[in-house]
Amino acid sequence: MTPRVTLPAIGVVGNDVPRQLVLAAGALPVRLAGGWDGAVDDDAADLLGAADLEAARILTALRRGEFRIDALIVCNDSQAHLRLYYVLRATPSGLRVHLLDLPREDSQPARAFVQHQFAQLLAFCEDVSGRTVDAESLASAGRAERDLGRALDRLRQRRRAVPSRCTGADALDAYLQAGRLDPAEAVRRIDATGCAEGSVAPSAPGTRVHLTGSNHPDASVYRRLEDAGYTIVSEDHDTGDGAWIGTAADGADVTRVIDGLVQAHFGRTTNSATALAAERARLTVTTASDAQADVVTAFIRELDDAPRWDLADQRVALAREGLPLVAREHVPADPTVAVAELADALRKREVTVS
Amino acid sequence: MSTSASTRLRTAAAATAYQKQWFADLSRRAADGTPIALANADAPHEILRAMGIPYVVNQWWSSIISAKRAGQPSLSAVAARGLPDDSRQYDVLPLGAQDLPEDLAPWGGLPEPRFAIAERSGDVTHKIFEQWGRRAQTHTFLLSRTGAVPAPEGWWELTPNGWETVFGAERLDLLQGEIEGLISWLEDHTGTALDRDELRRVMALANEQAQWNRRTRDLIAAVRPLPVAVTDSIPAVMVPQWHRGTQWAVEAARSLFEEVSERVDAGVAVWRDEQRRLMWIGRGLWTDLDMYRSFQEDFGAVFVWSMYLALGADGYARYGDDPVRALAARFVGLTDLLYVPPMSSSWYVKEALTHGVDGVVHLVADDTPGAALITEALEGAGIPVLDIRANNADARSTGDVRAKIADFIRARVPARV
Repeated sequence: MTPRVTLPAIGVVGNDVPRQLVLAAGALPVRLAGGWDGAVDDDAADLLGAADLEAARILTALRRGEFRIDALIVCNDSQAHLRLYYVLRATPSGLRVHLLDLPREDSQPARAFVQHQFAQLLAFCEDVSGRTVDAESLASAGRAERDLGRALDRLRQRRRAVPSRCTGADALDAYLQAGRLDPAEAVRRIDATGCAEGSVAPSAPGTRVHLTGSNHPDASVYRRLEDAGYTIVSEDHDTGDGAWIGTAADGADVTRVIDGLVQAHFGRTTNSATALAAERARLTVTTASDAQADVVTAFIRELDDAPRWDLADQRVALAREGLPLVAREHVPADPTVAVAELADALRKREVTVS
Repeated sequence: MSTSASTRLRTAAAATAYQKQWFADLSRRAADGTPIALANADAPHEILRAMGIPYVVNQWWSSIISAKRAGQPSLSAVAARGLPDDSRQYDVLPLGAQDLPEDLAPWGGLPEPRFAIAERSGDVTHKIFEQWGRRAQTHTFLLSRTGAVPAPEGWWELTPNGWETVFGAERLDLLQGEIEGLISWLEDHTGTALDRDELRRVMALANEQAQWNRRTRDLIAAVRPLPVAVTDSIPAVMVPQWHRGTQWAVEAARSLFEEVSERVDAGVAVWRDEQRRLMWIGRGLWTDLDMYRSFQEDFGAVFVWSMYLALGADGYARYGDDPVRALAARFVGLTDLLYVPPMSSSWYVKEALTHGVDGVVHLVADDTPGAALITEALEGAGIPVLDIRANNADARSTGDVRAKIADFIRARVPARV
């Protein structure tokens, strides 16, 4: 599923990894995804219990050896991911697995803990790659990561233009590639995504949609919605606009770079499972407004409970901006019918479909 | 004093009566202006105790709401706020119950708390307590919940004194720092300073209580037939658990041990013809407590174990010179002991073997991880397990529990010869 590259590939589950540290250690961070139609083994489902199916799909692929990775980092950024880590630890597979565990409430003790977590993460990556970071490798990785971030900024501008010059599906593909590829290669691909200024928009000038709710492991749901006449111009889930990509810190040594990344961690709005509903609602409103969305839609997988707890706040906050929210909860393993229902509800501007 | 199997434990009855009186007193004090707190089960209650702030435990209150059949209207009230009524019901019932009319609210309802305190467990707890913080009179404080790294087997031998090894210094540093933040926050809100000598005293009492629970658990594990029903031991342990750090709670735990000893000496049996010993893993089925006794007549099957006494025996004792750090050690991984393998699985196997368990009923809630590995470990030890996926606080999901257990006993738990 993932092309073999020369650098050791470290799989990443979740959205908390400061990629600069992995790159500086001479490894490539590869964000893993299961896919909307990925297989789920009975064993994987049983081991995870009642958890977001996306985690079960990742676990299935891991147990089948489908990801070509040399090690794995699991972020404690959702209950499903934490369960995944516990299962992998309890059922050894030969794959080296590390838990990255970041507190969310900013405080001095929390910052000290995150510093320690980032230092441990770096040590893990160095151990996998056999290389030791220094000021030059940190700076070089920082430059590469910022270049990637700027490419994503350019993509966002094309996507949010009126009319949009990039489909949401293509943008999501670009984000997913940015999380998996060598940064320079990812920049090339991202800059080739969508249309240049002045050229013909690739997507129909349909209703502009902002997407919230569960993250998306691939662009298939986006494509179906866009085939139904909508253009997804932004999102706030963590595999799209919410992906923690492009962040780097400067510093003369590891400690200072880590300090900068700690600051960056506490400065962002994290995913629904770790943020307060009010924080998520603010992010949704800001992003949707910036993207000049006509409507916001939430698409939430079964057992991905956290986004459901944001809906009430999101609905109130969006209403203040005159933006309707159409929600589709309890999306089952096969999302085909749910997407069709959502498209229909968007046409009718129904509030909730479940 | 004579005792029989049908006689309810005096300590259970006394605990229940005490709790009702305590709640009435708390309501009166709240009405008079005393600030009260709502605390999640895994929040560091001892700080509140030492500061003289009355508190109600979210999960205990949830169990009362369920037992008083106020669960469904409470969930309806949650839904009326636009929030899910089918997610984390056990944690959210008290929030919904606040919106019930007084005649529907159990025990007259929970007075509006001034403080709501919880750890960020799972994906939703922080959002539920965020809702509490929006109530006009309530302020919310959230603590971090770190992953269980490390997670050693055999922790029950180490936790009283070797907790730095069991949980790791960094995790303890974080929670200790956050508890210090909680202390400052409460001091700012109440204008009262924490007396650290009082906190030491509270910690010592809690440790003493845990020691009595350990003696009771060990006694029940060793005796055949079972001398006390889990439906009695649960309130006799848990009501004092929510008063942890008081002299009353220590005396209640000691009384429980003495009363169980009396029963053992008198040869009292919950079911004389005990043929099958069952273990109940998971939260209590508060909506149907009679269920626990319902397999005695047909199968000679008795539930000999619940996590409440066992965790009270093994989970809480923490000794140390610094009471705040020892307190952090009590809560940093308390839930992990129940749910994270191999900590959880090794403990359940140990408990099953020491209690001579023939079969396990494992109630698996959506928010509890590690269930399959716990089941696997027990089955690996030769103990059959029935997994039931249901929410103990939501009667909609537990309607067929009795039938499932009966089928399980017939199919997999043979009577002892």
